[in-house]
Amino acid sequence: MGKTWASRLIIFTTLLFLIGPFFIIIFAGLSAGSSLSFPPQGLSLKWYLAVFEVESFRQSFTLSMFLAVCGTLCALIIGVPAAYAICRYKIPGAETIKLIVAAPIIVPGIIVGLALLRYLVVPLNFTVTLALFLAHTALVLPYAVRVVSASLENLRTDIEEAAVLLGCTRLQAFSKVVLPNIRSGILAAFILGFVTSFNQVPVSLFLSGPGVRTLPIDMLDYMEITYDPSVAALSALLAFLSMGIVFIAEKTLGFSRYV
Amino acid sequence: MVLPAAVFTAALFLLPVGILLSEGFKVGGEWTLAGYADFFSKPLNRTVFFRTLKLGLLVALVSAIVGYASAFCIVNLEPKQRGRIFGLVILPLMISPVARTYAWIVILGRTGIVNDAIVGLGLSDTPIRFLFTETAVFLGLLQLFMPLMIISLISSMENLPKDVIPAARVLGASWLQVFTRVILPLTREGLVLGGTLVFTGALTAYITPAILGGSKVLMLETLLYQKVNVSNDFVSAGIIATILIVMCFGANVVLRRIAKA
Repeated sequence: MGKTWASRLIIFTTLLFLIGPFFIIIFAGLSAGSSLSFPPQGLSLKWYLAVFEVESFRQSFTLSMFLAVCGTLCALIIGVPAAYAICRYKIPGAETIKLIVAAPIIVPGIIVGLALLRYLVVPLNFTVTLALFLAHTALVLPYAVRVVSASLENLRTDIEEAAVLLGCTRLQAFSKVVLPNIRSGILAAFILGFVTSFNQVPVSLFLSGPGVRTLPIDMLDYMEITYDPSVAALSALLAFLSMGIVFIAEKTLGFSRYV
Repeated sequence: MVLPAAVFTAALFLLPVGILLSEGFKVGGEWTLAGYADFFSKPLNRTVFFRTLKLGLLVALVSAIVGYASAFCIVNLEPKQRGRIFGLVILPLMISPVARTYAWIVILGRTGIVNDAIVGLGLSDTPIRFLFTETAVFLGLLQLFMPLMIISLISSMENLPKDVIPAARVLGASWLQVFTRVILPLTREGLVLGGTLVFTGALTAYITPAILGGSKVLMLETLLYQKVNVSNDFVSAGIIATILIVMCFGANVVLRRIAKA
C-alpha cells in the first residue's frame, strides 16, 4: 500500500513539473488585467480574442501554416521514394545516404539557418518565403524518410510481387498495393512533420526577413516589447491545436508507435 | 529514387553548413587555427563554453535520476493507466517550445508565482531575481527535454524480464544493489539514447537560453546569434558552429561506446 502511494507521488510530481507550466499559461491568458500575472487579476476571455486582432500574428500564422503543410508535403514527395528504395533495394552506400538524409536532425537548426542564409539565399537572391520553404522541407525530410521506412519494413514484399505477377507494372504495384498499405505511416509522418515544422524556431531565426516571419519568431519578438497576457493566450491556443491534432492522430492511427 | 532526397539535402544542407564550418579556420583569407586560439583566449567565450557544457551535463544527469524513478513507477502501472500516463509524458513534446518556455516567465518573473509566495510569506521584502539566471535556464531546459529521457527509459524497462528484480531481492540484494547491478546494466541502452537526446538537445536549444537567460546568461547558441547579428563576426560563428557539432557527435560516439562496453 505504502509503495503504491510513493510511486503515485513520484509520477504526480514529475507530471506536475512537465505539464503544470502549461496550465499556468492557460490561466495567465484568462486574465482581465493588462499585465502578465498568476493568479490572473480577474477572469476574462479578452486576451484570447485579442490575439486574433493582431495583424502580424495573422500574417505569421498564415506563413507558418503554409510552411508546415506545403513543406511537409514536399518532403513526403521526395521522401517516400527514398524510403522505398532504401528499404527494398540493396543500394550501394545505403548507409551513407541514410546519414546524409538524417543530417538535418543532427546539425543544430541555428547553424543550418545561418549557413543557408549566407551561402545560398543571399548569393542566389532567394526570396525570404522560398528560403524558409526550402529550409522547412529539408528539416522535415529526415522524419518523413524514417517514419515511412518504419511502416514499409512492416509490409510484406510478396504482395507487391504478386501484383506484378498478376499484370501490374512496377508503378501500378506501388500505387495500388504499397501506397494504400503504408497510408497510416505517411499520415503519421505528415503529422510529425507538421508539428515539427510549425514549432520550429532556430532554423527560421536567421532566415526570417522584414515582414516575413514565422509565428514562433513573431511571438518571440512580441514578447520582447510587451508584457501583456496575449502571448500566453496565443501559446495556450497553439498548444490546444497541437494537442487536438495529436489526440486525433493517436485515436485513429496509434500515432505514438511512430514517434 | 533516393537521388532527389540525397541531392536536396546535400545542396541545401551539407554544402552551406560545410562552408560555414570552414570559416572558423580562415582568418583574413588564410587557413589557420589562429581563430580558435583567439576565440578561447577571451574569458567570455570560455565562460559560455563551459557553462553550456555544464548545463548540458547537469540537465542530462538530473533527467536521468528523475527519469529512472518515474519510468520505474510508470512501467509498473496497469497497462491502461500506463498508456494514459505515457500520453501525458509525450504531450509536452508536441507543444511549442516558445509556449513552454514562456510559462517559466510567469512562474519565475518579478510578479510571478514564486516571488509572490516569497514576498507574501515574508521571506524577503523585495522580489528575488530568478529570470536571467542559470537556474532559470536549467529549469527550462530540464522541463523541455526530460520527456525524451523518460520515454527512452520506459521503452528499455519494458524489455526488462519481469522476475529479475524479485529474484535479486530474494537473493539478498539491497535496493541500491538491485539498481546498480540489475536495472542499470539492463537498461543501459535506453539511458544512453535518452542521455544523448537530452544532452545534445540542451546544447543546441536556442529559445530557452534566449528567453530565460538573455544576454546575462549566454549559451553557445545565443552567443552565436550575437556574434552574427551584433558584431558580424563570422569567424567566431564558424568556430561556435564547429564546437556545437563536434560536441553533439562526440556525445553520440562516446555514449555509444559506453553502452557497448
